[in-house]
Amino acid sequence: MAKKTDQPTIEQQLKRLEEIAMLLDAGDAPLDEQLRSYEEGMALAKQCREYLAAAELRITSISGDDASV
Amino acid sequence: MNDNVLSVSELTGVIRHLLTEGIGDVSVSGEISNYKQHSSGHRYFSLKDDDAQIAGVMWKSRTLRFVPEDGMRVVVHGRLSVYPPQGRYQIDVTAMTPAGLGDLHLAFEALKRKLDAKGYFALARKRDLPTLPHVIGVITSKTGAAIQDVLSTIRLRFPIATVIVRPAMVQGDGAAEDVAQAIKEMQGSKAEVLIVGRGGGSIEDLWAFNTEVVADAIYHSEIPVISAVGHETDFTIADFVADVRAATPTAAAMLATPTPVAELLRVVDEYAMRMREAMVDTITELSDMTEEFLQGGRARRLTERIHLYMQRADDLEQRGLTSIRHAIDLMRHRVDHAVVLCTTLHPLAPLRRGFAMIERNGAVLNAASPLSIDDTITLRRAHDVSTATITSTTQQDITEITHGKED
Repeated sequence: MAKKTDQPTIEQQLKRLEEIAMLLDAGDAPLDEQLRSYEEGMALAKQCREYLAAAELRITSISGDDASV
Repeated sequence: MNDNVLSVSELTGVIRHLLTEGIGDVSVSGEISNYKQHSSGHRYFSLKDDDAQIAGVMWKSRTLRFVPEDGMRVVVHGRLSVYPPQGRYQIDVTAMTPAGLGDLHLAFEALKRKLDAKGYFALARKRDLPTLPHVIGVITSKTGAAIQDVLSTIRLRFPIATVIVRPAMVQGDGAAEDVAQAIKEMQGSKAEVLIVGRGGGSIEDLWAFNTEVVADAIYHSEIPVISAVGHETDFTIADFVADVRAATPTAAAMLATPTPVAELLRVVDEYAMRMREAMVDTITELSDMTEEFLQGGRARRLTERIHLYMQRADDLEQRGLTSIRHAIDLMRHRVDHAVVLCTTLHPLAPLRRGFAMIERNGAVLNAASPLSIDDTITLRRAHDVSTATITSTTQQDITEITHGKED
């Protein structure tokens, strides 16, 4: 099995990106909060890109007697 | 002459009655000859053996699952009928199966009817597939093209997933039981979607996927199942029971990964672009506000006042009029006050100095936005946020306050 980590899933990361984009689109949060969110969003986007680009398919096998081979 | 003379039509009517009522439904085996599919879609042919032949017609509306050829041995089911214009009798064929495979076809149809009646194929129980599966289960032969097609397609489209392969016998004795067992074993795994299948083959090769034991296993799977058996024209019982039927193993791998990584990268880039544009907009707006303030009347008038006071103080001092020392001090004080005012008018300073920002419905109000009675507004100060309701408003220009008592 793949190693279990506490990394947020790609769905959670995409959801967070959407939240930040919406917050910045609205543009009514205090400026320093917007700046902090922007930095978080950009770092997250970079992390997502790296994760997606570097991913390698993991293949595991469970038992079974494939007598036809 | 006697009275029993019949017209041709009357005689034909009698023959028709004898054939259709006297013989009626028939099942006949024979060899196809002169097979023709008319452009209308109806099929005409003869069925023959060594010593006889009989005409057959199979209307377009009848389902035919294979293409008959001259010389092919078939079993047809139908009803005898007469075609009066040519004085011909023929079989109105409702079903035709290749003779050699007749038993398998009958078994297939029987199981299909049985499971359909049990609700195994109901559209209502078809589940949606996960859009971003973390774990994909694959049940197929360890060898052969199917496993390679599935793995290479997933690797290309969605390498962030984990694939669990459960090798299974997909043909021969015990294949059906092994496939069913594999589906059951997968229930204990983290797989979120299952691909169950094999490459194309003859009806005998695909038979495991036409068995009740495999249909049951798919029916009872807690995990959505994509069936991928054979090529596009082969439908199996497994295809009917599965949540989604794929024509090929490659198509199954694509259905299991509906949102490829390339698409996710595009989505991430889109969010990054949105964030960048929004931030640029916000900063441009702030910068415009600052610019407006600096070029606006208030700042310029303050600067002019500072210069005026300074000049008057200097004039008095130069003239050495000590008697008006007091006037000079007063003037310096007014200059200092004006300078303080000017420096504290930085656009971000007001809140710290006790001014409040007014928001309505989440948007900051500027001086040009009118307020009405009963408007609910939010007062945002440096350290708190309050809600207030407008009870009255009076028009009063800010220049009346700053300039009203000038000089």
